[in-house]
Amino acid sequence: MAPTATLDASDITEKARRDLLQLLEGVRGKKNLVIEKSLAGPVGLFVKFSTLQEYGVDKVFFLENNNVDSTQRNVIFLARGEKARQVQAIAEQIKRVRRESKQDHEFSIFWVPRRTLVSDQILEETGVLGEVNVAEFQMYFVPLEKTVLSLEMDDAFSDIYLRRDPTAIFLAARALMLLQKSQGLFPRILGKGENAKSLANMLLHMRAEEDIDASSDPSNAHVHSFDLTPSATIDNLIIIDREVDFPTVLLTQLTYEGLIDETFGIQNNQTEVDSSITGAAPSQPPPQQTSGANSQAPAVQPPAPSALKRKILLDSTDKLYTQLRDANFAIVGTLLSRVARRLQSDYDSRHKANQSINELREFVNKLPSYQAEQASLKIHISLADELKKVTNGDLFLRVLEVQQNLAAGADPSTVHEIIEELIARDCSLTTVLRLLCLESCVSGGLRQRDLEHFKRQVLQGYGYQHLLTFAALEKIGLLIPRVSAGAGAYLNPLANPSGAATVTDYNLVRKSLKLFVDDVNESEPNDIAYVFSGYAPLSVRLVQCILQKPYLAQLTNPRTAPAANSQPSTATASGNWKGFEDVLARIKGPTVDEVQKGHNAAASQARKTLQGSGGGQVKTSIVFFLGGVTFAEIAALRYIDGQLGEKRRLIVATTSMIKGDTAVGAGMEGRSFKMR
Amino acid sequence: MSKPTADWERVGDRFYRKTQLYTSVFNPELELENYVVTGAPYSGAVALYRDEGKIYTYRGNQAAKSTIDIHSCAGKLIRQISWDKGRIKALGWSEDERLLVVTDDGTVRSYADLQGDFTPFSLGHGAEEHGVQACKFWTTGFVALLGNNSVIAVTRYEEPRPQLLASAPPGEVVSWTVIPPEYTSSRSVEVLLAIGKTVYVVDAAECEDRSLEAGPFRHINVSPNGKFIALYTEDSKVWVISSDFQDRFSEYESKVKTPPKDLQWCGNNAVVLAWEDELHLIGPNGAASKFYYDSFMHLLPDIDGIRVLTGDVCDFLQKVPDPTEEVFRLGSTSPASVLLDALEQLEKKSPKADDDIQLIKANLDEAVDVCVRAAGQEYSIHWQKQLLKSASFGKSVLDLYNSDDFVDMTEALRVLNAVRFYEVGIPLSYDQYIRLTPERLMQRLVNRQEYLLALKVSEYLHLPVDRIYVHWARQKVRSSSTDEESICEEIVRKLDGKRGISFEEVARAAYDEGRGKLATELLEHEPRAGKQVPLLLSVGEESIALDKAIESGDTDLVFFVLLNLKKKIPLSSFFRTINSRPVATSIVESSAIDQDRELLKDLYYQDDRRIDGSNLLVSEALSAPDMGAATDKLKMAAKLLRDSKEFAPQVAALEDAQKLTRFQEAFEKDLTERYVGLSVNETMSKLIKAGNMKRALRVQTEFKVPEKTYWWVRLRALVSRRDWRELEEMSKGRKSPIGWEPFYNEILGAGNTKIASLYIPKCTTLTVGERIEMWLKCGMLARAGEEALKAKDRNALEELRKQASGPALLDIERMITQLQKGR
Repeated sequence: MAPTATLDASDITEKARRDLLQLLEGVRGKKNLVIEKSLAGPVGLFVKFSTLQEYGVDKVFFLENNNVDSTQRNVIFLARGEKARQVQAIAEQIKRVRRESKQDHEFSIFWVPRRTLVSDQILEETGVLGEVNVAEFQMYFVPLEKTVLSLEMDDAFSDIYLRRDPTAIFLAARALMLLQKSQGLFPRILGKGENAKSLANMLLHMRAEEDIDASSDPSNAHVHSFDLTPSATIDNLIIIDREVDFPTVLLTQLTYEGLIDETFGIQNNQTEVDSSITGAAPSQPPPQQTSGANSQAPAVQPPAPSALKRKILLDSTDKLYTQLRDANFAIVGTLLSRVARRLQSDYDSRHKANQSINELREFVNKLPSYQAEQASLKIHISLADELKKVTNGDLFLRVLEVQQNLAAGADPSTVHEIIEELIARDCSLTTVLRLLCLESCVSGGLRQRDLEHFKRQVLQGYGYQHLLTFAALEKIGLLIPRVSAGAGAYLNPLANPSGAATVTDYNLVRKSLKLFVDDVNESEPNDIAYVFSGYAPLSVRLVQCILQKPYLAQLTNPRTAPAANSQPSTATASGNWKGFEDVLARIKGPTVDEVQKGHNAAASQARKTLQGSGGGQVKTSIVFFLGGVTFAEIAALRYIDGQLGEKRRLIVATTSMIKGDTAVGAGMEGRSFKMR
Repeated sequence: MSKPTADWERVGDRFYRKTQLYTSVFNPELELENYVVTGAPYSGAVALYRDEGKIYTYRGNQAAKSTIDIHSCAGKLIRQISWDKGRIKALGWSEDERLLVVTDDGTVRSYADLQGDFTPFSLGHGAEEHGVQACKFWTTGFVALLGNNSVIAVTRYEEPRPQLLASAPPGEVVSWTVIPPEYTSSRSVEVLLAIGKTVYVVDAAECEDRSLEAGPFRHINVSPNGKFIALYTEDSKVWVISSDFQDRFSEYESKVKTPPKDLQWCGNNAVVLAWEDELHLIGPNGAASKFYYDSFMHLLPDIDGIRVLTGDVCDFLQKVPDPTEEVFRLGSTSPASVLLDALEQLEKKSPKADDDIQLIKANLDEAVDVCVRAAGQEYSIHWQKQLLKSASFGKSVLDLYNSDDFVDMTEALRVLNAVRFYEVGIPLSYDQYIRLTPERLMQRLVNRQEYLLALKVSEYLHLPVDRIYVHWARQKVRSSSTDEESICEEIVRKLDGKRGISFEEVARAAYDEGRGKLATELLEHEPRAGKQVPLLLSVGEESIALDKAIESGDTDLVFFVLLNLKKKIPLSSFFRTINSRPVATSIVESSAIDQDRELLKDLYYQDDRRIDGSNLLVSEALSAPDMGAATDKLKMAAKLLRDSKEFAPQVAALEDAQKLTRFQEAFEKDLTERYVGLSVNETMSKLIKAGNMKRALRVQTEFKVPEKTYWWVRLRALVSRRDWRELEEMSKGRKSPIGWEPFYNEILGAGNTKIASLYIPKCTTLTVGERIEMWLKCGMLARAGEEALKAKDRNALEELRKQASGPALLDIERMITQLQKGR
């Protein structure tokens, strides 16, 4: 409860860890843990399996597998309680165990992140509420990195955009509210998009209720209410509704990390690759884990990890990876060989003649880190090799060609032939759909005729079940016919009265925000466009509208550069949209700009004085991606963070990580007309 | 003013004091010996009920009605609860002054906030069958002992979950007690049962015999800090041992034949034995002192001492606190004691005051501290003042002194004196006050309806006051008999504009009281939309509840209202209700997809959302158990859309889907291979791979598959089957709609360079460079050279020469010379 402290991700991790262990401790004796699959990964980020064992956990089951046995008297369920389906599943498993087991069981349910009324009602109706201990495990944000916080809600994208169920938005508001409670109010909330608007409204609403809640809860009576004065360390919250910028998700990420995610997938900072690529995992923990800061072995191993797959930890504990992750893949080879050479020369230095004992000792001390680096170098070289094979493939290049053309604003009909060919060649459906969606998004929908044509092709190529896929994609707004595009009211039942655009005019926005940079430099990046080798993500451009006004002004209109420069960058203290209103009006969804002031102006003032003029303070901006963020965008934001200098820090928060396959996959029908 | 040491008693090398808190406590006619008496911790309320096991004088009808009476420590009746439900087996308190009443059939009633309303729960686990024998309470829970020696623990009162502990051996339980969870190493409650000659320790997992041999133990009790156990043996000895049964600290022989009626701890270092009117106080090392009373007494142990309650007086027995002893002990020469003397001299205007100060100059700050702390331990206002004055005098001499403790203590004492006043009757000691916390003290004042005092104290200590107002309002709603409008008006007038007031709670009280209209009126003043929801549901204002839930943004609330709504009203009005609220509709849809597809169908039908309805049928078709059912569903899906022109493509697709299955079923019959489930392209591909060109062609024409697609499918299928002959057939003469490059690529990909190379000359649209590259990929350097020669590309030839070796090198060199010659 120190509002002056800067936001520290490790505090969040530590708290989550403590809370969980405390809950486990509350159940005496050995216990079996039944965990929802999507929670296993996030939990693994902060608790090791061995720690769970120390706290009496005997076996771990996945809720979805419905296979918890009766070997332990205590059975604990760890699951999200927002969806009726989940609750039902737990109730049924409790009933099953009770029926099958000969002994008495003690059941506990820890709801993440909160206990819901609905869960109580369902448990009551199924007749198990009376026999379970119900507790809350308030896990909201999980730090993936020091500057990346994620709610790890895998379903967030489909919930928000397909099902239009605002639960994820509400939970996001809760999570941000918790941040405000510890850090003070966000002095300014900025954002773009329909859902960003509702998130901002919820935050304002919650703040109003917070006063009442805080004081009507006798246990923590007057502690919180005083804290809700504007934060001294956080400057603003920028909410980007994913809906505002689908194209960025749909494009293939071209950073190293992004490509790994596209190719192998990254889940909770881990990727799983075939062991034939990197060699099998060493039987002992790899050296970089013992020497690295804190090895975070997965807490919850799936019962039988497939022997052919190897898990690789990808986070900032791996120094080499930190250098590589955000680089454009084109230069990763160069970087790797540079590192290899340096390692070699460092290592060779031991042969230097007449070394003193001290120098020798120093060398020996460094040995473990050499070994760690070497091991990680080996892994990354083989990963990069594998990726190279993919990027050199004919299909990859074809897809890239389409993407670059669409991103650069070429006439979409020029790429239709390639897309058709991809369908005929039975290229994966997600890839095809990503391209179609991309075209739809950048050109305000597909022409009715084209759309029908492609639908036909896809249905014939991949099966008629994808009628449902198209319906879902249309609901999400990823793939829409152009005629109805004008009537955005279809997508957005509450036709907004603010007169905000319902469809983004990409041709205009591309020009005014310079979304496509032709002369991009991949090895020495000079603009965020490097992450997509030319395309600059709109989402990140929006952030730049707030944080890097002079730069952006100069980039888009070099002639007015001096005027923009005359305005010192510090003038935009808490940031606003000023200067970009015209462009914003042409981008889909309403624009959010709310200032939050403390109740007690004197108190806020006093606090400011107490902290000095704030000149020495590092100001933090939180960029919240509602609906998911890609690794490429994070790379771009890290690049901006570097540009902003020491005085300013960017923290990325999101509902979950996302990539094009997940976005399109949200709408994909998985079943087919198989004979049963 | 009597000396503060007047009521001190030396026990061994310690002093104990008996402070008289209140006199004339109870009605003299009340025969306390016939009552069971228990007191809430931290000098809380005292509950009395007539012990049914005892005979008493017949007093006519009014006494026959049994009641539980709740008094303050000063004897003031706070509440009377009439009792007509079974035999009370135990009565106990939690630290938040919740009264628990346990009957012999295992029913527990929990009375919160000293009110007459209760929430019941049942112990279960065979309590009904075997009967509850007794219960032991601690601050947040209790343990019940059943007739069959089972023990059941309840560890919290919000959502109690009675838990059966490990089973104890049979035999009469002579005495028993519990160690609260906060003091055990396992962090769960432990029960000590004295059975036979020994003591068993029972917890959730196991029952362990401590193998003592001096039993049976008439009494057993655990000290307030959970570290020690006092046992009363059969041969009238008191033992004090550590709670892990490892060390034995002291032993005392009472020399009384009759076993005492009670054994309790007085703080953490003395044990009290009580007979009817005699009391033995046993300090460390077996030293003891005796007290006598005029009438029957009850012991009410607390954390730092013990209250002794008789019909006439309420005393507090405790060890003399260290600072007090330091100041007041006869012959004490401690700096604090000298400082007090200095004050007395000062008041007498004697110069000795200065001598005293000089004497203790070096330890003056310590003396001030001790005086401040000693003041906190005093019950006499006179001595509180004297001590604070001494402290004040002392610190005036000091150059530097942090007065925070002094100020805090004066504040605390003002509060303590106010609540100790006999009409309030909370004789808190300073230590109890600190442990209880001011916030919870306010709750206790409010429970006693001391609103004005609570307000004053809260304002004095800068505590939030909203709880007090809310409690007042709730009480008002419950008890006031005036008409609803004026009640509401008065409440709103008093509460409006105050920060943090929860009108919802007041409204809830009104509702519970059966004043529905008042509840709704009050609820309108509740600023938090979400809070209004549950009550609105109970009042039957579902659609307002739904709006409020949506306003709050909490989807859980919305969902909750919807679940209730759906149960309550007919489906058609349910749909009408959600129809105008998009958030509600999406939540219904979202959950129904997982749970209730029929509902979804009705919803789509009602809203005329045909395409959604049709898609739902398609989805059902996909899950259908067999193809026949799936086809039926598809037919229905198409039928839904048929009469509208805008859905024509969708209808066509659905019909194609059925047609495809028909085809596939026919193929399966003819070819005994599986086809159902494949897409059109996959079907063609599989047919080609199996050599059924004709059938594949039929599929193409039937489904109007574009020529390009068909070529691609054919090419890939043939390559995968390595059917080079058929490929050759395919490429003979005719122009390819997809060009020839794919042929080259696919065949090369399959590893056949020879066949692949056949297609290079056909790729006329490509550049020379590309074609050279193609030749090279097939390993045909010479042919690459020819290509270059044809284009007269010298550089390319030079380049090739570098790569070439053997005969190819000769060829290339020949070509270079040829090119040179040609020039």
